[in-house]
Amino acid sequence: MSCCRVGNQRRVGATPDQIVLSRHRDLEGRRKGVFWRRAMVGLLAAFLVAGLLNVFGQRPEDTTVQAAGVSLQLHAPTSLRGGLLYEASIMIHAQRTLHDPVLVFAKGWAVAQTINTLEPTPATQSSDEGQLSLGLGPIQAGSTYTLFAEFQVNPTSVGSYSGDVTLYDGNTKLLHIDRTLVVYP
Amino acid sequence: MDIVLRGIVVFFALYVLMRIMGRRELSKLEPFDLILLIILGDAVQQGLTQDDYSLTGGMLAVGTIAVLQVVVSFLNFRFPRLRPVLNGEPIVIVQDGKPIERNMRRERLTYEDLAESARMQGIGSLDDVAWGVLETSGSISFIKKSG
Repeated sequence: MSCCRVGNQRRVGATPDQIVLSRHRDLEGRRKGVFWRRAMVGLLAAFLVAGLLNVFGQRPEDTTVQAAGVSLQLHAPTSLRGGLLYEASIMIHAQRTLHDPVLVFAKGWAVAQTINTLEPTPATQSSDEGQLSLGLGPIQAGSTYTLFAEFQVNPTSVGSYSGDVTLYDGNTKLLHIDRTLVVYP
Repeated sequence: MDIVLRGIVVFFALYVLMRIMGRRELSKLEPFDLILLIILGDAVQQGLTQDDYSLTGGMLAVGTIAVLQVVVSFLNFRFPRLRPVLNGEPIVIVQDGKPIERNMRRERLTYEDLAESARMQGIGSLDDVAWGVLETSGSISFIKKSG
């Protein structure tokens, strides 16, 4: 830097090393920098809004199907993230007696998640090619049976899985809920 | 494998986040910023190792981030054209005692921020400053007028 005194005024030294005024003061060729920064902030904001709108879970959703005097309601999230703990409930409202109700959960329920507990404990449990079949015991006409299930999403099971639930009475298929579980990292 | 992948994603997400937050936030570490930093670290850790409490998991996470830091540092050193993208560039914000408002606005710097930084470097008045440069680290360098 050079300098010299002129009267009692001090002189501004030469431009500091490595500083190019056109680029570092006048920002020539750097206009796009602001655009990119704003674009990235916008992208980040969109990601947060998507989170608020439940895109990444885990707000539960209700799905109800009914036929032949029986209704089946599933209360559970469809979008999940690795490691989340949550509760799902399955409600069966029977207007006629079900002698041998069996709930069948698609493979995705057990593959993507750890089942911590089922309350009340089903009368019977079996597995058929990864599908879990739970025998609930008779449900009397006019009564409602609710099954509570606690899950924890396996952190490594990122992807989408079948989250279908089917209700049988013996070998007769009564109702089916078609769902997809999406697990985000 | 999962932890390494998570480490890569977290590293680049934080890198981009730090770049888009701007230098003003980087340069200051007031009590609230410190708390935010701790919360940030905690939130990131949950996503990085999740329920893995193992030493191996921890070493994989730390190792991934360390290696990526070295890689970025090497790229920065080896390819000068990448430096503006990876590190940013300095911006002149004071010339001959006068703040350059357009550049300060770009970095969300107020006159008060400038005066505070000057005082911290023993400069009482911006009139004494020949050049003020906002560095890539977020700190402000002042070069005094001579004479």
